[in-house]
Amino acid sequence: MLTQFGATADSLSKASTMMFRIGTDAHLYDDPDDVSIAPLLDSKFDSEKCEALKRLLALIAQGFDVSSYFPQVVKNVASQSLEVKKLVYLYLLHYAEKRPNETLLSINCFQKDLGDPNPLVRAWALRTMAGIRLHVIAPLVLVAVGKCARDPSIYVRKCAATALPKLHDLCLEEQTAAIEELVGMLLKDNSPGVVGAAAAAFASICPSNFSVIGRNYKKLCKTLPDVEEWGQIVLIGILLRYVIAKHGLVRESLMLTSDPLVKHNSEGEDLEPHVAMRKPLHETSFDICTEIADMVSRSYLEGPDKHLSQLGHVNRDSLRLDGSCVTSAKSNDDVKILLQCTSPLLWSYNSAVVLAAAGVHWIMAPKEDVLKIVKPLLFLLRSSSSSKYVVLCNIQVFAKAMPSLFCPYYEDFFINSLDSYQIKALKLEILSSIATYSSISSILLEFQDYIRDPDRRFAADTVAAIGLCAQRLPDVAHTCLEGLLFLALSDGDAASLGEEEIVLVQVIKSIKAIIEKDPPSHERVIVLLLRSLDSMRAPAARAMIIWMMGEYSYMGVLISKMIPTILKYLARRFTLEAVETKLQIINACIKVLLHIKGENMSELQIIVGYVLELANSDLNYDIRDRARFLKNFLSHCMRSHDVEEVKDQKEYKDLTHVLAEYIFGGQRKVQSEPFSYRFYLPGSLSQIVLHAAPGYEPLPEPCSLIDESHFPSHVEGTTIMEDRAIDSETNDIDDSDAMSGSLEEENTTDYSSQASVSGSSGGGGSYNGASDTDGDEEAGALINLSDGAPTSRNHIKDSEENSASGFTDFGELMSNRALESWLNENPGSSQNFYDVSHAQRSLARISIKDIAQLVKPKSYTLLDPANGKGLSVDYRFSSEVSSISPQFVCLQVSFRNYTTEPMSNIFLSEEEADQGPDSFGKSVSSSESFSVSHGEAATLVSMEEISSLAPGQTTNRILHIRFEHHLLPLKLVLWCDGRKQPVKLRPDIGYFIKPLPMDIEAFSKKESQLPGMFEYIRRCTFTDHISQPNDKKDEQHSQITDIFLMICEKLALKMLNNANLFLVSVDMPVAANLNDLSGLCLRLSGEILSNSIPCLITLTLKGTCSEPLEVSVKMNCEETVFGLNLLNRIVNFLAEPAP
Amino acid sequence: MLQCIFLLSDSGEVMLEKQLTGHRVDRSICAWFWDQILTQGDSLKLVPVIASPTHYLFQVVREGITFLACTQVEMPPLMAIEFLCRVADVLSDYLDGLNEDLIKDNFVIVYELLDEMIDNGFPLTTEPNILREMIAPPNLVSKVLSVVTGNTSNMSNTLPGATSSCVPWRKTDLKHTSNEVYVDLVEEMDATISRDGTLVKCEIYGEVQVNSHLSGLPDLTLSFANPSILNDVRFHPCVRLRPWEANQILSFVPPDGQFKLMSYRVKKLKNTPIYVKPQLTSDLGTCRISVLVGIRNDPGKAIDSITVQFRLPPCVVSSDLSSNHGAVNVLADKTCSWTIGRIPKDKAPSMSGTLVLETGVERLHVFPTFQVSFRIMGVALSGLKIDKLELLNLPSRPYKGFRALTRAGEFQVRS
Repeated sequence: MLTQFGATADSLSKASTMMFRIGTDAHLYDDPDDVSIAPLLDSKFDSEKCEALKRLLALIAQGFDVSSYFPQVVKNVASQSLEVKKLVYLYLLHYAEKRPNETLLSINCFQKDLGDPNPLVRAWALRTMAGIRLHVIAPLVLVAVGKCARDPSIYVRKCAATALPKLHDLCLEEQTAAIEELVGMLLKDNSPGVVGAAAAAFASICPSNFSVIGRNYKKLCKTLPDVEEWGQIVLIGILLRYVIAKHGLVRESLMLTSDPLVKHNSEGEDLEPHVAMRKPLHETSFDICTEIADMVSRSYLEGPDKHLSQLGHVNRDSLRLDGSCVTSAKSNDDVKILLQCTSPLLWSYNSAVVLAAAGVHWIMAPKEDVLKIVKPLLFLLRSSSSSKYVVLCNIQVFAKAMPSLFCPYYEDFFINSLDSYQIKALKLEILSSIATYSSISSILLEFQDYIRDPDRRFAADTVAAIGLCAQRLPDVAHTCLEGLLFLALSDGDAASLGEEEIVLVQVIKSIKAIIEKDPPSHERVIVLLLRSLDSMRAPAARAMIIWMMGEYSYMGVLISKMIPTILKYLARRFTLEAVETKLQIINACIKVLLHIKGENMSELQIIVGYVLELANSDLNYDIRDRARFLKNFLSHCMRSHDVEEVKDQKEYKDLTHVLAEYIFGGQRKVQSEPFSYRFYLPGSLSQIVLHAAPGYEPLPEPCSLIDESHFPSHVEGTTIMEDRAIDSETNDIDDSDAMSGSLEEENTTDYSSQASVSGSSGGGGSYNGASDTDGDEEAGALINLSDGAPTSRNHIKDSEENSASGFTDFGELMSNRALESWLNENPGSSQNFYDVSHAQRSLARISIKDIAQLVKPKSYTLLDPANGKGLSVDYRFSSEVSSISPQFVCLQVSFRNYTTEPMSNIFLSEEEADQGPDSFGKSVSSSESFSVSHGEAATLVSMEEISSLAPGQTTNRILHIRFEHHLLPLKLVLWCDGRKQPVKLRPDIGYFIKPLPMDIEAFSKKESQLPGMFEYIRRCTFTDHISQPNDKKDEQHSQITDIFLMICEKLALKMLNNANLFLVSVDMPVAANLNDLSGLCLRLSGEILSNSIPCLITLTLKGTCSEPLEVSVKMNCEETVFGLNLLNRIVNFLAEPAP
Repeated sequence: MLQCIFLLSDSGEVMLEKQLTGHRVDRSICAWFWDQILTQGDSLKLVPVIASPTHYLFQVVREGITFLACTQVEMPPLMAIEFLCRVADVLSDYLDGLNEDLIKDNFVIVYELLDEMIDNGFPLTTEPNILREMIAPPNLVSKVLSVVTGNTSNMSNTLPGATSSCVPWRKTDLKHTSNEVYVDLVEEMDATISRDGTLVKCEIYGEVQVNSHLSGLPDLTLSFANPSILNDVRFHPCVRLRPWEANQILSFVPPDGQFKLMSYRVKKLKNTPIYVKPQLTSDLGTCRISVLVGIRNDPGKAIDSITVQFRLPPCVVSSDLSSNHGAVNVLADKTCSWTIGRIPKDKAPSMSGTLVLETGVERLHVFPTFQVSFRIMGVALSGLKIDKLELLNLPSRPYKGFRALTRAGEFQVRS
């Protein structure tokens, strides 16, 4: 009965879950493709379309590629049902980049929707249109954004602000002016919601264009509390940067604690390199660690990498904080307002807002006001455990620099047993750095509890923290030592457990650190430890105790009395010890011998001799070496003793003895550990991961904005009243502009001045010197990969220099030249088709000589005679570097007249109808560091006109074109006999680079500098060689045609025919199996035309001669996107069969 | 800005992916992430920011679901974490909980929500009230309706009015037949009691939760009788900060429905309502354990749902535990929980038993920490008192209700 009931209950619950799932989309997720989707998409019912779209979404969610449905889906964009629309948009955004051409079909619909009376429809259309990221439609999107930025609906304006960064990503430099103008306009919006989104746009588009902020500063501060939480986070950062750039740091703040200039900033020339340890300014209640505070402020301003690299130099006044860069929080209005507006945000619900506001106070507020941030920060610890971790990471820095802030709140850092290990470790570190004499007793009590925690790793950390506390507060050192000693001596039985060992080792380590501070007063401790040596199992702990014995053997009466006994014990146990302990025993022996005086000498010498003998025949070579070395070292000392003891003391002091004294003499001064912390701005990602994340920027240089004089509000001496008046005036002007609604007008009136502003402020405010002013602007928006390591930056510069110096020489065919120079190495073997030059392991490096002559760039047809009324135009990319500018690509265009009549006035030009051909190029969306001085995307240097072309005649012309990395066809117009003929020129990414001659060492060095994110590999199959042997059979060759070589040559030629590269080396496998090609390796190098970033390509083959070869192509290039595109291109043409 | 959001099930399966910017993130990052979790153990699950070779990952784990966001550029990490928490909140609110099935069953809604909540990697609309108007939550009525009519639309046709109002958290022109507002003080007591029974730390984390069903655009003012005991506060965005700064008065226009108006902290409390006294003595490979629980300071209301939980130390092989009141359970992962419920009048509940230690371990050298939970209805242990609640701008007299509740937060007793 009961079982039956159970069964019913079971089925009931099943039924109820079934019931529960009815009406959800469960079945769609579970098997999305159980019906055919295509007919549903074409259905005329919205519900069926919906179902189909949901199935597609389910497939996307599960990681399938369903882009094949793209055309059918795009059709539905015109649907009136909002749900269908939304689903189509979701699908479209996922695949738009993959299917650019079909996506264009939807543009009309978006444009229609942009005029819809329903603001929701307008907003969605705008968001999707900007989100599909096609370069072609960028101008259309710009117009749409401009229109929506003036929309009556707040939501639409907000979406317009969000769309700006997408657009900026897409357009790169071309429309920056217009985009920045829109950002400025939206920042002035009356609705806080729009301002927040505009702030985010500002931060990612033009974070250093402070003039835009300057005009609205006060208004932005006032709206700050009403802005949405996410906008607040960004806006706080922007305002902080602005104030520092405009007014500099605050005199009373923590940032200038240690600066001598603060004291006498009236005489600003007094720029002596200051002493790091200086008494705090206000000795009253602020316990500030001046050294760390100083380092924090420098790291904030310069970025820690730069700062740390300068540490070695004495000259530390690189900041040049002269008197004018310092302001006061009390007298400066802007600073005051900022602090006022951000302080209520410390009560925000959003922990990110609280942390951002706390960061502002940390940097700008006078020291006595920084206390304000403490309670809110501590309150954040009660939020989710994820944010707890981030907040603790930041508090850790605050507490290190200014321990007094958190001292009274030490209880908040007491550990909860449910905390994760990382959080526990952070809390311990904070506790040990904020402990004071008043709080240490309760902290130590807590620590005692932690040591009993089941997590032994945590217990070990606690022991380490006790050691730190004892070092910071010498008065409690004794108490700590007693406690530690108790642990060390009592844990005897438990220590046998593997886990317990880490605690014990840490205990001894801490004891050692405490003793090191003041050895003579801790003799008793050492003796106690030595006595317990027998019960201690952990080799590391034993090694440390033995080290202490050797180090302090000279000190005190007790120790020296014990030493012979202990050494005997150790000598007896020597063979049983672990390696590290053995090494320490040997060391200790020597130290003891050096220090010992008087009666025990001979006995000790025997023991030491015995130990050294044992060590001499140890299994471990390290120990044998050490023993041998020390034996020699001490031979003199020991012998002299043996012979006669009355000898004069001076005799000992021969060279080896002095050396031994020097090495083992001990008495080393305990060096204060150099600080190697890295500090990043509070609340930044870099502070958590402890390296500068791409896009991280330190604070702007103080007062870098002061140079601008064309903003009336910046003129010095104007009172605030005037300031306001002018502010409102400028506002009025801008408003009227906005009313007129014409974008172009604004451009012309405003942009010229703005451009210069951004230029100057960029130059002045850039943190890394002048080298990356161009990188500055997008740093926030794009992945600035080149930002990562300073080494890579240098190396780009190097290559730039190379290209600059070598540029004039590269007039001729690059690969030709380079090959010749390379061939000079093996002049004797010029007749040979190849030469095995230097064998390296199992590889033979060969050279292919004639390859330069064989290189025949592929020819493309621009116009065939059928369409061109008898005129045929072909073009091929030439490997020459343009004489006009390195950014231009040279094309060799050949015109041929197939008709019977002569033709005249043949001429190629750009399509005029369009403003700029930019709308036809699909940009590589994240090419961040292309510094471009011109506005347009691709430019054609006007071609020399062909005045006449006789029948059958062929004429060649060189064309210089700048493509700007746009991979879409360039539309040109061909004029012939006065007729226009539109033609399309297809760019080849293989010619956006030029050969970069280098040798194999340089290649591998560069390669090693570009690991990880800069390295991509793709594979393809290479089949060209298969058909080849058959052809070659007919040809009679006196030489033995080596099939390896032939394949090498084929491969190299294919590469050089299709891309403008330099062949660095060819490595051949010297394999037993003659048919096995695996390991054949070709290295090629080139550099990107526009920015001279090197691209290194390595082809590695796998397979046998008679079968298709598997080629793996590896690309090392800092320009990730370009590299990937080039890689794709290479893979494409390699896989493409030979014609 | 965030580049991509993944939702992972507790077995590491990618349930959803939402690309946010043009810089596409490949799914393989999830495989990498899960590999790390598998190799480094669960401790990595608790690290919110991870630097992978190609991306920085932010993770928030809720009910077994991992919310994973990727970025390649500098951004405030707390912003990402807060956003992911917000997504988790909104989803569990929409789906009535959060688990693998719920997400898969409602993946379309999840997609639609994510699309509204974040645009180009920057949060767009995160206010739950607006979202609810834009995308209808799946409730039983709409489900049944969709089965019957075949119409599955859950998208609103119009833009919620709140997006354009100056109080974006509130629907415009709300009408309720019965105007009522309830204010709850929900407090959690965090306490740490050390080995020797002293109270190391005792504080209250409290929330003022308001459930309002009011018509029109009401303006509420809430004041406390003793605001000075508050150590620190955080507010819902609707609270005007100036009146608080000046007079410690909460003045606000409430969102509709349930929301957290404020959270606060009261520190340095002197005593706890109950005591838990664990005692462990070990010798010769066995350990006697006894735990006593009783009322220390009677709060005046009944204390219920008392449970004591602890994890047996790793060196314990087996255990034999019994109690004179309530039930004792030992789970496979050595978690031991003792459910007491309400303390009986006639006796003090106690649990006792023996633990057998690993061979070779004579005495216990690591000791468990006991997590205690309880609940007291009708009392705010911090002593915070609501003075009055004034309502302006209302057509009719509303009904006002006040309640209080205290439960244990991080209440732990070391042994």
